[in-house]
Amino acid sequence: MFFHIVLERNMQLHPRFFGRNLRENLVSKLMKDVEGTCSGRHGFVVAITGIETIGKGLIRDGTGFVTFPVKYQCVVFRPFKGEILEAVVTLVNKMGFFAEAGPVQIFVSKHLIPDDMEFQTGDMPNYTTSDGSVKIQKECEVRLKIIGTRVDATEIFCVGTIKDDFLGVINDPAAS
Amino acid sequence: MSVASDSPVHSSSSDDLAAFLENELDSDSDSDSSSESFPSEEAEDVANHRSKRRKLEYVETIVEEKIQGVTFSGEFSKASSSKLPCEHPGSFGELCFKCGRSLKEEETGVSFGYMHKGMKLTEEEVAKMRDSDNKVLQRKRKLCLVLDLDHTLLNSTVLRDLRPEEEYLKSLTHSLQDGSGGNLFMLEFMNMMTKLRPFVHTFLKEASELFEMYIYTMGDRPYAEQMAKLLDPKREYFGDRVISRDDGTVRHQKSLDVVLGKESSVLILDDTEHAWPNYKDNLILIERYHFFASSCRQFDHRFQSLSQLESDESEPDGILASILKVLKQTHSLYYEGGGGEDANGRDVRLLLKQVRKEILKGCKVVFSRVFPTKSRPEDHPLWRTAEGLGATCATEVDASVTHVVAMDVGTEKVRWAIREKKFVVHRGWIDAANYLWKRHPEENFGLEQLKKQGTGTEEKTTNDVTLEK
Repeated sequence: MFFHIVLERNMQLHPRFFGRNLRENLVSKLMKDVEGTCSGRHGFVVAITGIETIGKGLIRDGTGFVTFPVKYQCVVFRPFKGEILEAVVTLVNKMGFFAEAGPVQIFVSKHLIPDDMEFQTGDMPNYTTSDGSVKIQKECEVRLKIIGTRVDATEIFCVGTIKDDFLGVINDPAAS
Repeated sequence: MSVASDSPVHSSSSDDLAAFLENELDSDSDSDSSSESFPSEEAEDVANHRSKRRKLEYVETIVEEKIQGVTFSGEFSKASSSKLPCEHPGSFGELCFKCGRSLKEEETGVSFGYMHKGMKLTEEEVAKMRDSDNKVLQRKRKLCLVLDLDHTLLNSTVLRDLRPEEEYLKSLTHSLQDGSGGNLFMLEFMNMMTKLRPFVHTFLKEASELFEMYIYTMGDRPYAEQMAKLLDPKREYFGDRVISRDDGTVRHQKSLDVVLGKESSVLILDDTEHAWPNYKDNLILIERYHFFASSCRQFDHRFQSLSQLESDESEPDGILASILKVLKQTHSLYYEGGGGEDANGRDVRLLLKQVRKEILKGCKVVFSRVFPTKSRPEDHPLWRTAEGLGATCATEVDASVTHVVAMDVGTEKVRWAIREKKFVVHRGWIDAANYLWKRHPEENFGLEQLKKQGTGTEEKTTNDVTLEK
């Protein structure tokens, strides 16, 4: 699920960036530092959308670095247990498959793939129904439900299921 | 410069929202899995464990049930089946991948890091997967083959260990992009040079038709993956079945724990016997491939390396070719007579022994001045090896004896053999048969050769044999 929230961060800036472009330098450093990272509380920071306030800088003794408290608006993405997501399949093996929804990787075990789908090995490993009408392979888009998440300081692990109504393959670029 | 002050400060409002959502979504999913209505006692029981809000709802439904007097036997059975505790067949990032619970505190079985980071499976689940895999393999008439990298399929050296006389190799390397056909590669980003064993491309191609192949190396993960790329540029042989020392379960040993094949259908090809202490019967021991001088030095061999001699193992009848024959033979024995259901009771370990016994079949061997007089000859490794190769061993000469294995010309048995026109060979003949899986022409192993070489070690003799061809 996406959220638009305000976060705060203390930015340290090297003295060489002081001058007319201080603000721009600060913002571009913030983007570089923050976008694409993952925090346990908020999930992945997808994009910074704006700066609320930049507080007063505090000069550090000895180094000359200056610390600015910056409040910024950003879009974050965090998966929740029970959430329905659309994701792209990235890896299929005999234990199940992995799918990515943006930065989040979700594992769907073969226990949670409908029983009528069977694993087929080969150069494009896949799960296929006995009549061959539905096929899950790399690059497929699937709709899945998250059944568990574990949020580390830097990583989010998710496990999901497609064994429920209205879940499963929604689009297969290889087939069309 | 301190990093600590760089950490983000969280605004409390978004935290509350996140927590609220988590709860909301949780309770929603719960109500999906457990059915809406229970008989009254059951419901009260369950309701105690739920949040207040849920409790209220349940009380309401119970009241409704009583008023309408409807029976809910169908739902009851469904609800009770969903309450069976999950057996946690495995985990991804410490989350059970069947029920989604965090398994941080519970023990979680064997790590399968080579399939995907953070993947673990319990023993029972692995056994189940082996069973179902085995069925698929039987249907395809395949077996499993675990291959070692260093000294078995290839030889690598660090660039700074190259001898001056090996510098010529640098001009002979193949480009990495080219992919197919090359044998010698320079991996500058790893500071390494790698030489693939002659015949390895044909070996992999033909073996892949009969076996599901794994790489299992004591090298680290990046090295293993890089080597897999050299051996299998199109990724058609190994897929994700590349196991490095980081994925093993026992330190300094290799084990079939993480190989998804039944022990009765896995063959192993490796140059180091003690890496597989528990799987000796599955192992096909291969003579070490020393191409670079540094590799010879590592194993304390005095002879010149293949690169220094500007030579190499022979392509059509090198060791990999003979091993491939052994593999094919074992495979055809396993699937003899249609395979499929019959093959269930068969065991590659027994078949491998059977194949070995064909090598020196019909030979009757007498040893002369090979064993110390005090020990029982039956216990000597050479005696056992010879028997394993299908030869009959004896202590005394008689008319049925075909070979005399001796280390010295002057013994009575040797003189007898020369008189009776029997073969006289030194022990290298048995060692060569042991490593190369075939009976060698006895002329190459006469005692005269032994004298010429002086006091050659057994490794030396077998190595010379391969070089001769």
